[in-house]
Amino acid sequence: MNYIKIILIGCCIATFTSCVAVKEYEKINLNDPDMKLSANSVERFETNFQIYREAASGANGGKTGGGCGCN
Amino acid sequence: MKYTIYTILLLLAVTTLHAQEIQNDSLTYKKRVLETTEVDFLMSYYAQDGTHAAVTGGNGTEELTDITPTFVVAVPLNDDDVLTVDAGISAYTSASSSNIDPFDSDSPADPFQASSGASQSDTWANLNVNYTHSSDDRNTVWSGHLNVASEYDYFSLGFGGSYTRLFNQKNTELGIKANIYLDTWNPQYPIEFRQGFSRPDIVGTGTYSNSFTEFQDEGRNTYSLSLSFSQIFSKNAQASVFLDLVKQDGLLSTPHQRVYFADVADFFVQNFQLGDDVEKLPDTRFKIPVGARFNYFLNENLALRTYYRYYFDDWGISAHTLNIEVPIKLASGKFTFYPTYRYYTQTAADYFAPFETHVSSSEFYTSDYDLSKFDSHQYGVGFKYYDLFTKLKVFKFGLKTLDLRFNHYTRSDGLSANIISAGFKFVLD
Repeated sequence: MNYIKIILIGCCIATFTSCVAVKEYEKINLNDPDMKLSANSVERFETNFQIYREAASGANGGKTGGGCGCN
Repeated sequence: MKYTIYTILLLLAVTTLHAQEIQNDSLTYKKRVLETTEVDFLMSYYAQDGTHAAVTGGNGTEELTDITPTFVVAVPLNDDDVLTVDAGISAYTSASSSNIDPFDSDSPADPFQASSGASQSDTWANLNVNYTHSSDDRNTVWSGHLNVASEYDYFSLGFGGSYTRLFNQKNTELGIKANIYLDTWNPQYPIEFRQGFSRPDIVGTGTYSNSFTEFQDEGRNTYSLSLSFSQIFSKNAQASVFLDLVKQDGLLSTPHQRVYFADVADFFVQNFQLGDDVEKLPDTRFKIPVGARFNYFLNENLALRTYYRYYFDDWGISAHTLNIEVPIKLASGKFTFYPTYRYYTQTAADYFAPFETHVSSSEFYTSDYDLSKFDSHQYGVGFKYYDLFTKLKVFKFGLKTLDLRFNHYTRSDGLSANIISAGFKFVLD
């Protein structure tokens, strides 16, 4: 339950912070390939072995389980 | 009182987003979602070793190598739609899998030696087709995908869809994704559990017998719902939060993983102990991972990429994952060098016990060390090359990026692994 509270409060804070929006022409640094909010494409192989060798998976925008005889 | 405050906060947040959306409706500049066809060729080589093979009840070699070539082709169908085909294979050789039947080679059977039979290698093939549509203002994206994967003892059919909405001049993003996988095992039981197994050289007190019965349900279904929220905080900082709800049912045990009971007599053939049963795990599992990314652009030469995940499920496992990556740009951004570090820790599943420590009266049991308590460290380095002008050509395709990574992984139970990955992105001229 505590986690849900933290997420909820975090989302609200983030939303209010966002009232001052960064304009498209100001996003040059954010559009840098190293700033992507996702894993690099070649990281998929590491994620694949991790979901076999570890019990936890998911919450990274990628695979959550299923599709393999993995954990 | 607390809930009232949360409700008010949420309502304010939704109202703020809505107001910002109305403000942004006038922005209708339309850019092609994908300018031209892109082809990614990805490949990895993975090698691991350890002494806790699940096939031999948590006691045996875990030596394994795997090569995974993959092609990803993204084709723009028009200004708004992209079709992506992702096809790959994974060819592996596994010493522990070879011990599903340890008696099919000339050397004496031994859990620490690979056997040479058919189960020592396999190929996993995967095909994923994804269709993505973006709205004219690029504030709405929806997608659908179909996935098929197959290997000798496993077949999977998956499908799903996602919906993403951008608000606040594309500073805020909300996403929802649903996936269903309908998988089927073709169980390859350890040789001593198969009909007709008999050997004259079994050594032990009394007559060998086991608790094994074949699984009736060979299907495994996975249903997942993923929620994501991304937010730009400043010109240099952005973050995202992910929440997945995953429900699995069906055959969640791995049918070729042996278990040895402490209260049952031991029988051997050569150096190999015959199994007492295969692992038995509940036929349902509910998993909840919550993750967050935070990226910060420190300066033109340095950025910071971080990731954290908390995971728990109803098998008694909880886990923490922390990942940090520091891209360092060289030669005016043409090259990027990035060291990475990942820490992971998990508690054991309620049903885990080491080799020869389970009792036969238990309802569920496994000696798979992937479900044991451990922590792991992963150290790595990566190297990226960018060429916006795609000078290097292969037929009509120009090389846009090259990405190489090396990672070393160690687990506190003694397992270690190395993985080398490479990715080449080509664009059609």
